[in-house]
Amino acid sequence: MKTYKRALSRLLPILVILGPGIISGSVDNDAGGITTYSLAGAQFGLKLIWILFLTTFCLDITQAVGARMGLVTGKGLGALIREKYAVKWAVFTMAVLLLANVGVAASEFAGIASALQIFHVSKFISVPLFAIIVYLFVIKGSFKKLEQFFLLASAFYLVYIVSAVLAHPNWTEAVKSLVIPTLSFKKDFIITAIAVIGTTITPWGQFFIQDYVVDKKLGKEDIHVERLDVFLGSWLTNFIAFFIMVACAATIFIYGQTINDAGDAAKALQPLAGQFASLLFAFGFLNAGIFGAALVPVSTSYVICNTLGFEHGLNFHFKEAPQFYGIFAFIIFVGALLTILPFIPLLTILFWAQVINAILLLPILVFVFLLSNDKKLLGKYCNGKIFNAVIIATFLIIAASTIAYIVSQFIG
Amino acid sequence: MLYASQLLGKKVYQDNKVYGKLIDMAIVENRPNPPVSKIEIKHNKKKVTISPLALSLKNGRLTITTQHIPQLPYDHKDFYLGEDLLDKQVIDTDGKRLVRVNDVLLETDENGKFLVAGIDVGFDGVLRRLGLPFSMHKKILPWTTVEALDYDTGAVRLNVKEPALSTLHPSEIANILEDAGTKERVGIVSSLPANQAARAIEEADDETQVSILESVTPAIFKNIINKMHISEIADVFNELTPERAKELQDALGVERSGTIKRLSYFSDNVAGGLMREHFLSVKGNITIKELQKVFLELPNIPESIVITNDSEKLVGILQTKDILRFDTLARLSDIVTEKKFVYPQTSLREILRLFSQYNLRALPVIDKNKKPIGLLVIDDLLALIEEEKENNENI
Repeated sequence: MKTYKRALSRLLPILVILGPGIISGSVDNDAGGITTYSLAGAQFGLKLIWILFLTTFCLDITQAVGARMGLVTGKGLGALIREKYAVKWAVFTMAVLLLANVGVAASEFAGIASALQIFHVSKFISVPLFAIIVYLFVIKGSFKKLEQFFLLASAFYLVYIVSAVLAHPNWTEAVKSLVIPTLSFKKDFIITAIAVIGTTITPWGQFFIQDYVVDKKLGKEDIHVERLDVFLGSWLTNFIAFFIMVACAATIFIYGQTINDAGDAAKALQPLAGQFASLLFAFGFLNAGIFGAALVPVSTSYVICNTLGFEHGLNFHFKEAPQFYGIFAFIIFVGALLTILPFIPLLTILFWAQVINAILLLPILVFVFLLSNDKKLLGKYCNGKIFNAVIIATFLIIAASTIAYIVSQFIG
Repeated sequence: MLYASQLLGKKVYQDNKVYGKLIDMAIVENRPNPPVSKIEIKHNKKKVTISPLALSLKNGRLTITTQHIPQLPYDHKDFYLGEDLLDKQVIDTDGKRLVRVNDVLLETDENGKFLVAGIDVGFDGVLRRLGLPFSMHKKILPWTTVEALDYDTGAVRLNVKEPALSTLHPSEIANILEDAGTKERVGIVSSLPANQAARAIEEADDETQVSILESVTPAIFKNIINKMHISEIADVFNELTPERAKELQDALGVERSGTIKRLSYFSDNVAGGLMREHFLSVKGNITIKELQKVFLELPNIPESIVITNDSEKLVGILQTKDILRFDTLARLSDIVTEKKFVYPQTSLREILRLFSQYNLRALPVIDKNKKPIGLLVIDDLLALIEEEKENNENI
């Protein structure tokens, strides 16, 4: 008991303000996340909620495994892949991570652009402007304080809970849909299911959670408290995702409307905010976008440089760590560029980035599975049967849905 | 230039027929340029370990030169270039940091024997192993400046005689400890003499200190804790597990562990938690000449001296360099320059204000009876500010 108390006193400050599990979870509800959950609720009502429920277990377990590997070895996922499977596989996973996260960065900028479009600001102005602002913020500002601010602003998501309640959804139906799966082989249904998984469990989150506990120098003694943090982070984010879906199902879906751009998703907040729904939505969406756009590129660059052996960290100057700042700037630049391409609608970026993330998660899961069962590396901290079963199930669900989608393309 | 990556995975021929694939090479560690002692070949899906003497490299082709292949026993304790060195972190004792091994540079001596010459830490090493023949960043460290770590235990694999690691400054070792993995951190600390390990740990950030003190074996914990400063232990005392706290009490005795508990009661942000408990305190009625005699008995002369009156109450402090300006018969209480002081509960903000406003180098901390109980030193404050700044900049 005393051990718990001690570990709690050590972790409490981070736990309350920003436990790694909670940050990692909150970023799942980024601009792409809100869009995907909104689309799922608006298009299919409550039919996809069971996917969200299953995904919560998958998220919780995969995050817990990442955290545990970090706690025991004191090394990030990239470092472990490199040490065990040599440089080729390490470079391969870094390429996967970079690709996935350029997508995520693009979706964050698309989120910023969509939010500002509500105020009639063109994306050609908002995106370049915020790309520069985000870059300068991360480099010049105090990153820690910024992080806390955005996390606090994430409390905005609570409005979805209120809005969902005020919309008077059919709660019995909603809870039933959690546990009773609805299957459909329509391709829109399948692809949205993949996006829901992809916005929740991400390559980014897998690397982030492990590097974060390593950075905080947490050890085996903290394993139980960290487990709690991950559990809270996973369930809390998806708890909110649940209400986003329910709110959209009880408004947009019921009225038979569709979401044609991210701004349409604001209608889900009308039961709460009435005519100010758009304003409220824009604020939350903007915050989610900026938070993601600040956190994802810099942490991606951190992981890549750490794995490939370049100097990394914001306490270095540009000249000391050119690769670190270079990759960081590259992700922001390409992300922003993809967003302002005139022929790609913002909603497409927001949605498809999540699909790509789900598919790119597959190779990462293989490494997570192999490493977390490595006796030599983890000793008695290897996975149990249930954890292994969930990781395999996660892999199979994504793989099967992806194949099902490709097949449905041909069948129509 | 021959690199390990160019040999690993290469086909091995015998009588112009493919015999197998070279998969790894073991080296003899304790030599300045260690020779390859065993070669592991995959032959008919089995591992065969042979002597390098039976292998020759001619025109880029590896050939087994003898008909009868002398087999060597495989020993997992051997140090293998592929298994134990490539892609792992090693300590660059010259650059004083951890680096990752991208490739291993080999050379052949006059008998055609392979020797390890150095490790490639440049990005070129990565590119070469990916099969991309570009050159971006070339950097080779000579093997003599490298300390390899054991992947299983984290222990430092000693190269030549004395580990070069112990020649590094404690703060440089501390930087390495902060970057290393859990096992490696423990391995490095365990390989150092207790005194040096204690200095290095003290220089590391609090999280690293706790991580190390929790993970080392009880015996090493005891040795290190005995060499650490009481105030440094107090900084992390509250974060140790109850078992470790108990061991600490057993190792240090009731009195010293009591002091630690008392000190750890104060947070890092008030004078009581920041002050040094050990400082030189003398009565004000002695002369400079008598003070010099006191100095002679000390291992090193402190920068500041705390002056008290007959009833041990604070008079003020004196900078050692200032006594040069006075006659050796002057009484200390007459020449005291600084009379500022703070209480244990004074905040860091207030302390910093006093230091900067009055250009202080040291500031005594007193209890309710005006008795000096500690000394704040500018070096410690700078270290604290630096650590906080770094914390803010970390991701």
